[in-house]
Amino acid sequence: MFEEGIRIKKMYGLDAVCDFSLGNPDTEPPVALQNALIEMLTKPEIGMHRYMSNNGYEDVREEIADYLRETHGLPFQARHIFMTVGCAGGLNVILKSMLNRGDEVIVPTPFFWEFKNYINNFGGVTKFVETTEDFQLDIRNIGDAITKKTKAVLINSPNNPTGAVYTEESMKQLASLLNAKREQGQDIYIITDDAYKKLVYDGIHVPNVFKMYDLVLSVTSHSKDLALAGERIGYVAISPSIKDVDLLVSAMTISIRVLGFVNAPALFQRVAGKFQRTSVSIQDYEKKRDTLYAILMEAGFECVKPQGAFYMFPKSPIPDELEFVRTLQQEERIMVVPGRGFGREGYFRIAYCVPMEKILKAREGFLRTGDRYYSGGK
Amino acid sequence: MAISKNISTLMKNSSWIRAMFEEGEKLKKKHGAENIYDFSLGNPITEPPEALKEELIRVASSDAKGMHRYMTNSGYDDVREEIAQYQSEITGLPFTKDHIVMTVGAAGGLNVVFKSILDPGDEVIVPCPFFVEFMFYIGNHNGVIKLVDTKDDFHLDIDKIKAAINKKTKAILINSPHNPTGVVYNEAELLELIALLQERNQKGQRIYIVVDEAYKKIIYNGTKLPILPNMYDDTVAVTCHSKDLGLAGERIGYIAMSPRIRNVRSLIDATIFANRILGFINAPAIMQRVVAKFQRSSVDIMEYQKKRDAIYNILVESGFEVVKPAGAFYIFPKSPIPDDIKFVKTMLQHHILTVPGVGFGKPGYFRIAYCVTMDVIQKSRPYFKEVGESLRNGQQ
Repeated sequence: MFEEGIRIKKMYGLDAVCDFSLGNPDTEPPVALQNALIEMLTKPEIGMHRYMSNNGYEDVREEIADYLRETHGLPFQARHIFMTVGCAGGLNVILKSMLNRGDEVIVPTPFFWEFKNYINNFGGVTKFVETTEDFQLDIRNIGDAITKKTKAVLINSPNNPTGAVYTEESMKQLASLLNAKREQGQDIYIITDDAYKKLVYDGIHVPNVFKMYDLVLSVTSHSKDLALAGERIGYVAISPSIKDVDLLVSAMTISIRVLGFVNAPALFQRVAGKFQRTSVSIQDYEKKRDTLYAILMEAGFECVKPQGAFYMFPKSPIPDELEFVRTLQQEERIMVVPGRGFGREGYFRIAYCVPMEKILKAREGFLRTGDRYYSGGK
Repeated sequence: MAISKNISTLMKNSSWIRAMFEEGEKLKKKHGAENIYDFSLGNPITEPPEALKEELIRVASSDAKGMHRYMTNSGYDDVREEIAQYQSEITGLPFTKDHIVMTVGAAGGLNVVFKSILDPGDEVIVPCPFFVEFMFYIGNHNGVIKLVDTKDDFHLDIDKIKAAINKKTKAILINSPHNPTGVVYNEAELLELIALLQERNQKGQRIYIVVDEAYKKIIYNGTKLPILPNMYDDTVAVTCHSKDLGLAGERIGYIAMSPRIRNVRSLIDATIFANRILGFINAPAIMQRVVAKFQRSSVDIMEYQKKRDAIYNILVESGFEVVKPAGAFYIFPKSPIPDDIKFVKTMLQHHILTVPGVGFGKPGYFRIAYCVTMDVIQKSRPYFKEVGESLRNGQQ
């Protein structure tokens, strides 16, 4: 999509196109972060660009452990933290560490397509499980999908592409489902992709899964909350309550090395350590969500109001969403992604991590489109 | 169990490294870190060039928008343009930005290349001794490593390589200047190798030369590094700036695919895709911008050469048998006793930390990484001599 977007923009001109196809936030990192970066570079420490331990700087991991102790109430220590090349890197490291060929990982759909590639990299099998109408976890479906080969459930909440935040209640149900399996002798891990953890609206919080279930590994990136996507910095935090935690620590350390990450980029590890309690403006995103959602409603689209991330996943007015997406692009110069790219046909994804002007500019186009499909000839 | 069988095996096989590391740590505590001469790590103490540090401040201070966002997965266009220009300059070949993919160091780059070219069971020939990570990078993508012994002077043994090539051979992985021996392959032996590969090529089997050029700029006494893309069409070069620009921790490098590779576009697309799905996504943004401007620079090579000379002289006068390296910052002497692990432990008692040859697939040798201060090298001299003497006495 990235390359396609560049092509379209070249064809019609940058201003004429409203590109909602990419999860590449237009936001800048906080000013304090840039200042800290400059300060670090103007007072360079000897050795600041060298290799460090594969897991990352000890003091950075200690800072993150401290933040997690505070926010999650578990005795995290530096050894439970692994600095990674973003979430994508972190997930690959976890899956390499855990999966045997043929092991299954349950993924609720619609889902971020790369998960399938990551799981496949290590001979794992992705088991897709439909969510409910409002994109919440369907615990019964998950229960039905569990087999002897199930190694993990991969949760992404706030979710890409739906913006759904799984409720406390549903996460508790998931935990009790998996605890029942544990009693029968099968350990199933919850892996949470927390890339959008800080991007939640309406005053809600993402439920603290670490408190609900022992076998939790969480992956965070600072691509979205600190707007550092291109710098590839994130971390994995594993629950101190995991049995065999030391074994897992050794496995993760080796995986980081042999997969070729070696370590997360040195400079931005230091930055990330200092900015755990900071984020870009969440209100800005909330305003964009409200504005876009209002436009879609006015135009007549059917859409679940998202409570997090910066995606919306409306129903396509016609069953063939691919055709709809093409029409939207050709008629209105509005770029979105067809739902089949997330394993759900008949829907489309709007990434609203764009300037507010673009959302307002697209209003007319969405309204005309609504007229065309909902009130016009139909 | 929480962890995969594959990783569990890797952990068992590398347990001796940990044991050795812990023994070293114990000794550092006992005698003080400054009294242990640590030659075990390829983590250069050299700082990046001053001009690079200034450029880094300039880039970080920029008011331009979008400096830290995602860019296209292969890396910034203008950065790849600059690197392509540099590659064209040294090879005389028409490199364009399309032939360059920015990567998370050479380790990232090699994983991307192997993910892109290997089918399960495909074989990759690696001259031995070798950087043991290669085994993992190939294994990660279900390839099979075929180790081929080099000659006594660590140069390529063409007959052995010939014997190792079969229908499943997909690539030969060359690392020159070489870790752990410091050898630089010369033009004559590479031409012999290429003749072998071309024979296969005529029968319809394409074999890539994948060259790990991490130490490309660290070569001594005017030794010339043969330009492989000029000699062989199917050449993929992987470079990093960990050593030549002192940026190991920042994870920045690139893949350069020769414009002469047949159907190069499909290989380019495969590497961009692999870079994404392996979770690298793109190379770190800020360092891409910085290294683009420093393709023709490097840390001070004369410093390394002086260190090479110093350590080589110490080893020779202490009675070790050793090939004088022409590049990189490693030297790989013969262990005076066949059991290299035992010998490295003996060295530890004399305050010297090195890595046994078995860690590079070559028992009976040991590796010294001399990317340390000259002071450490000079202070280690009496200890090397002590070891040499004690062994000679022991043998009498």
